[in-house]
Amino acid sequence: MSEEIKTPNYAGAMPGDNPRIGVYVCHCGSNIAGVIPCDQVVDFAANLPGVVHAAETMYACADSGQRLIKEDITRHGLNRVVVSACSVRMHEPTFRACVAEAGMNPFLMEMANIREQCTWAHGHDREGALEKAKDLTAAAVAKAAFLTPLDMIEVPVSKKALVIGGGVAGINAALDLAEQKIPVILVEKEPTIGGVMAQLNKTFPTMDCSI
Amino acid sequence: MVDAARQPLIEVKAYTEVERVEGFVGNFKVTLREKAKYVRADRCNGCAACAKACPVEVPNYFEMNLAPRKAAYIPMSQSVPLIYNIDMDACIHCYKCVEACGALEAIDFSMEDKMVEEEIGAIVVATGFGHFDPTPMTEYGYGRFPNVITAMEMERLNNSAGPTRGSLMRPSDSKSLRRLAIINCVGSRDKRYNSACSNFCCMYAIKNALLLKQMIPEMDISIYYIDIRTPSKGYEEFYDRAREAGIKFIQGRPAGITEDPDSHQLFIKSEDITLGRVVEHEYDMVMLNQAAIPQPDQNHMSSVLNVAQSPGGWYMEYHPKLRPMDSPTDGIFFAGACQGPKDIPASVAQGSAAAARASRILHSDTWQIEPTVAVVWEDRCVSGKGQACGICERACPYGAIDYTKGISAEVITAKCHGCGACVGECPHDSITQLHYTDAQVLAQIRTLLAVEPEKKILAFRCQWCSYGGADLAGTSHFEYSANERGLRVMCSARMDADLIYEAYRLGAGAVLFSGCHPQDCHYITGQIAGAKRAARLDKMFARMGMNPARFRTEWISAAEGDKYARVINEMQAALDAIPQDELKAEIERLKPEMEKKLSKLNQIPGVEEAMIQVDFIVSEMQNKAVPV
Repeated sequence: MSEEIKTPNYAGAMPGDNPRIGVYVCHCGSNIAGVIPCDQVVDFAANLPGVVHAAETMYACADSGQRLIKEDITRHGLNRVVVSACSVRMHEPTFRACVAEAGMNPFLMEMANIREQCTWAHGHDREGALEKAKDLTAAAVAKAAFLTPLDMIEVPVSKKALVIGGGVAGINAALDLAEQKIPVILVEKEPTIGGVMAQLNKTFPTMDCSI
Repeated sequence: MVDAARQPLIEVKAYTEVERVEGFVGNFKVTLREKAKYVRADRCNGCAACAKACPVEVPNYFEMNLAPRKAAYIPMSQSVPLIYNIDMDACIHCYKCVEACGALEAIDFSMEDKMVEEEIGAIVVATGFGHFDPTPMTEYGYGRFPNVITAMEMERLNNSAGPTRGSLMRPSDSKSLRRLAIINCVGSRDKRYNSACSNFCCMYAIKNALLLKQMIPEMDISIYYIDIRTPSKGYEEFYDRAREAGIKFIQGRPAGITEDPDSHQLFIKSEDITLGRVVEHEYDMVMLNQAAIPQPDQNHMSSVLNVAQSPGGWYMEYHPKLRPMDSPTDGIFFAGACQGPKDIPASVAQGSAAAARASRILHSDTWQIEPTVAVVWEDRCVSGKGQACGICERACPYGAIDYTKGISAEVITAKCHGCGACVGECPHDSITQLHYTDAQVLAQIRTLLAVEPEKKILAFRCQWCSYGGADLAGTSHFEYSANERGLRVMCSARMDADLIYEAYRLGAGAVLFSGCHPQDCHYITGQIAGAKRAARLDKMFARMGMNPARFRTEWISAAEGDKYARVINEMQAALDAIPQDELKAEIERLKPEMEKKLSKLNQIPGVEEAMIQVDFIVSEMQNKAVPV
């Protein structure tokens, strides 16, 4: 498996690589744009070295926002994309998939979190939030310039499930998996499965018995 | 229950505990401890001869200790699997059970706990919840007044399979009862114990009241409540039924229960909000509707599984709305009350949902994982030049690095989880981590500190915990100083000392070194490596005479948004307390020391070239900056 992974000799520098970065500043309705003027972040980003295109978008994650990014990749010959929007925990997979659809390696996309970690946390310090949003966007642009294409690692899958806990949720999960022909080990620490459910008399709202 | 035992693809391992979970999605290696039952599963036919012969009686946990069981036992007659256990703590070794078992020879006193290893593709965690013990609430007298019982005790006392065969009687005198009170929110919605609502207890109180009313129509039943919460389908109608059946609902949390010591009659004093006055009523028995709390061993299981806990101790989901069944670890899912109190319909639904999430993986031949792995620069590794080292091998929590003196170290990619501990520890800068290379992280640091660095708090955060904590601070709108500038690496173990030196060289006002709590680390021991390094740095900075307000180490979970905001605000206040001229003088004084420490930085592959380009970005930012 390891030999399949593309490992650049000098990760971080790509000789002869000339970054053409596109920056997208998301309004997220009023979640971001209600606190900071997004156009000012765009103007700021547009002048950063390496950035060839910067634009605002009402919802970067919406179909229209993603279409804009994909079209721009071809139109402006972008080879890096920065999305200044929400948390990576929210939409990193979304924008990785988006640039991949336009033929770009998904790891050439970088996000700046200007919602959870900026406008939502500094709602009463608009100036501070604007400066921070610019800095976070610049940091994402700077990192993006040195991103290298990477391929996901494929790992094999052991076709067996472990369910820990033999109460009503665990039993149901085990049955559903087994009915899909997946072998299951159902582990219970007590001598019998059933959990709290087995100790109950009738149960609401149907008043039928629990076992 | 029986369906699960009958399903040929389900192997039920009762009386078994999960000892260790290693590996990653699709490839977990799980060690199970099959506890010794002293009865051989392949021979026991469940005939109960051993239990009949056993002379030892101990309380049965399944009956809430209201009824005895033998030392040779099953918890209940419908136990699945139907295999007896010998409780070795209670056994007096009279061997009467062996005699009774006879030719079956199922009883085997030589049995020992057995460790079994299993290769697992995906894990569903459904460890359930525990019950709040009302003993500390002395105002209700549980444990002192025999007729004050818990909800689970009530459950067994009116259960036809329970110790009284379903005939409800008072523990003090075994007499039937006419007046029953149910007190809701015992240990829940109570800041002294658990401030959260336990979700199902309103319905649960109504169920018991209706059930008893059906059994004994003349019984007078009152439910003391704060609010009645019946939001699901058919629940409000159920509540209506209870009111129509004559069950009394008294809005007010009782201040206390008193008892007549002779008759053991109980008196509840409480405010009745509807009447607007204090009332006192007499009852034969009181049921305390106790809070649902995390399992007593939930902290332990959380470290076995390497999953974090929300405030209150429940397992923390990846995202409360979008991925409520997923743990932050790919391939581990939650079902039922272990993730938070929920009733039976919700637990069943989550069981199915978790199964569906897990089957995405289990139906695939391969699964994709992120390629953010470590890579060795062979020409830089000192081992390749014959020097003894091996620091990277020792730093790796996964044994993913092969080190042999004389050969440059090699990363076994399939084993590498991408924490970056080896990168942070390598003293020769011979390893990097893809997607978090030195050049990439340095580029971020330089831009974040481009303008007025002395005003900035640079916050290093790990992907899984403190970054999540910062997210939660925002989601909860806990405001903190906008001078904070955060950057993310996978683990605190990746937070290389060079990165911290660089921040101070550039003149950062303060630096936060943050990651997960030790038991939550996504990378087994990554946090320990990070914590050791942070402690070393702290000492070194103190020796250099750095103001202690300028470097702080904090462990912040993804559930601690309030803590993240508080830490940043405290750091800002501490930074503000340093006079500007003093701060600037200190930055200038320490700059040469930082430069000395970073003298070899430009030799790291890619860094020098990258920094030339980053400096273009930095000067553009500085030119644009509005003079204050």
